[in-house]
Amino acid sequence: MTEPHVTLSDISKSYSGVPAVRNVSFTIGRGEFVVLLGPSGSGKTTLLSILGGFVEPTSGRVTIGDVDVTRTPPARRPTSTVFQDYALFPHMNVAGNISFGLEMRGLARRERNARVFEVLAMVGLSGFEQRRVNQLSGGQRQRVALARAIAVRPEVLLLDEPLGALDLNLRRQMQDELVGLQRRLGTTFVHVTHDQDEGMSIADKVVVLNNGRIEDCGSPDRVYLNPATLFTATFMGESNIVMGRVTDASGGSVKLTTPLGDITTGGAASKGRDVHVSIRPEHLLLEADEDTESLGCAVLTDSVFQGAHHRCRARTTGRENVELLIYVPVERAVAVGDEVNVHARRHRIVLLTD
Amino acid sequence: MPAAGRKILSKLAVVAYVVLLYGFIFLPVLVLVIFSFQDGKLPVPPWRGFTFDWYDALFANRRLMDSLANSAVVALASAAASTALGFLAAYGLARHRLPGGPLIQWLLVLPLFVSYLVIGMGLLLLLRELEISKSLVTVAIGHLVINMPLAFAVIYGQMGDHQAYAERAARDLGARDLVVLWRITIPMLWPAMFAAFALTFTFSWDEFIIAFLLSVFDVTLPVELWSLLRRGLNPQANAAGSLVFTVSIAVLVVALLVFRLNRKKEMQDRVR
Repeated sequence: MTEPHVTLSDISKSYSGVPAVRNVSFTIGRGEFVVLLGPSGSGKTTLLSILGGFVEPTSGRVTIGDVDVTRTPPARRPTSTVFQDYALFPHMNVAGNISFGLEMRGLARRERNARVFEVLAMVGLSGFEQRRVNQLSGGQRQRVALARAIAVRPEVLLLDEPLGALDLNLRRQMQDELVGLQRRLGTTFVHVTHDQDEGMSIADKVVVLNNGRIEDCGSPDRVYLNPATLFTATFMGESNIVMGRVTDASGGSVKLTTPLGDITTGGAASKGRDVHVSIRPEHLLLEADEDTESLGCAVLTDSVFQGAHHRCRARTTGRENVELLIYVPVERAVAVGDEVNVHARRHRIVLLTD
Repeated sequence: MPAAGRKILSKLAVVAYVVLLYGFIFLPVLVLVIFSFQDGKLPVPPWRGFTFDWYDALFANRRLMDSLANSAVVALASAAASTALGFLAAYGLARHRLPGGPLIQWLLVLPLFVSYLVIGMGLLLLLRELEISKSLVTVAIGHLVINMPLAFAVIYGQMGDHQAYAERAARDLGARDLVVLWRITIPMLWPAMFAAFALTFTFSWDEFIIAFLLSVFDVTLPVELWSLLRRGLNPQANAAGSLVFTVSIAVLVVALLVFRLNRKKEMQDRVR
């Protein structure tokens, strides 16, 4: 990882006794694009507010660079924020909105104008200086909010669900633009969202939050392919979860009995323990190869064509009937009622011990 | 009776009701204004012809003109002070969680429900106790007491989340609290502040009881008008009354227009 830029140490926050964030610690590298991901009420927005200085943590410490900013008001932090509601100043035009932060930093008019011109070009709104805020569409307002926040050249840019109000196409486009902008500026971005697709597609690092705690923290592919907890496995994309009991464990390999039969997987767990196993639908196959483990027979109960794959449901016909979700490649013809053999990609079977 | 006939009849009833209602409210004022143009010594029928003489007399009347100026000064001062204090109270209560906040809010608007006579008497006793002599300043203070709650209520009602969000954004961009207040809060709230100012201005402008109780030598227009009326009916008093009325209406109309315009702008904001 690059040098640490933002450090949260043992942050907790309660609102009149009700905990919103509990003992959260993590580090953000300089120039990293970090996504705080979690359902509503997970504490992600509270964490962002603590970073921005709008909320003071009940306990814990925040440092940016080498400076402890835990008690520093927002105005004196090297951060700026793109708010969920944009919070543009309705009584100023676009240039006035963007200039505001520069004026607060004492920049001369000339410099301010140059900077406004520069950031408007960056967000693709050149020539919009004199527009009034109420003449802008939602997407344009979003860009102005972004331009206003980057104009002050923050060390850390905070984004609070900035794309939530946009329609799907525009959201995808803005995700790409955000990533491009972040690469170009080299600024540390901290982005909050509840949309795991968005999180995965833009982040260098994902911090999965639930109930005020960190569930997982790592690169999007690691978090997706090898989730640390049951919550992460179910929150990030679709997954098949089955219970199991450890029958044998040795040398980084664990044997389990599950309703799907006996399964061997990597990892560590003590014998006799009850655990969960997570298998992604795309890691269930209908044909065996050298890297698969058989899960027995199943009958397809449902099949929906989704472009990239058939999204199928199947019920196993072994000792126990287990519902499975399988993404079947489009090349393979499938029909409801088909009897199939189900195999799991061995090294993609994830052992969850939490 | 055929349905069409019944419909016309019910419509007529509605129109008659409206005419009666508004007639009841506005006819006295209308009569007052009409007979301020009476070409004769009595502002009562029969109509003797049209003249501006009474207005000429009014504008030549030093005492009346002085009281008019006094009224304007008192109204401007008390409206400005009410709006400023009302705004600060509204801002404080809307943006900060104060211990006993709801109670403070109640106490602030409470004077709205107390009779002017009681407030005037209370102030009179207080002034005597403090050995402050009655003057236009004490009248303005009296008007401040009755108007501040109104200004507070008007401005507090217009404080919404979108201003709070904009203020937060301004702080995030490096603005200190006073700069936020001056550059963000006040410009965003100025239609409400203007409305509060206009409303409190008109309330002070034609207020009689408190002005009567708390003044001695320099008096306001309503008080002067009252002493004029004590000497009997006189078209000049009608002219003075019409003047009071016209100014009040003019201020309210301007305030309404400003508010309307802003509302339209806000609606456009929301639609987009």
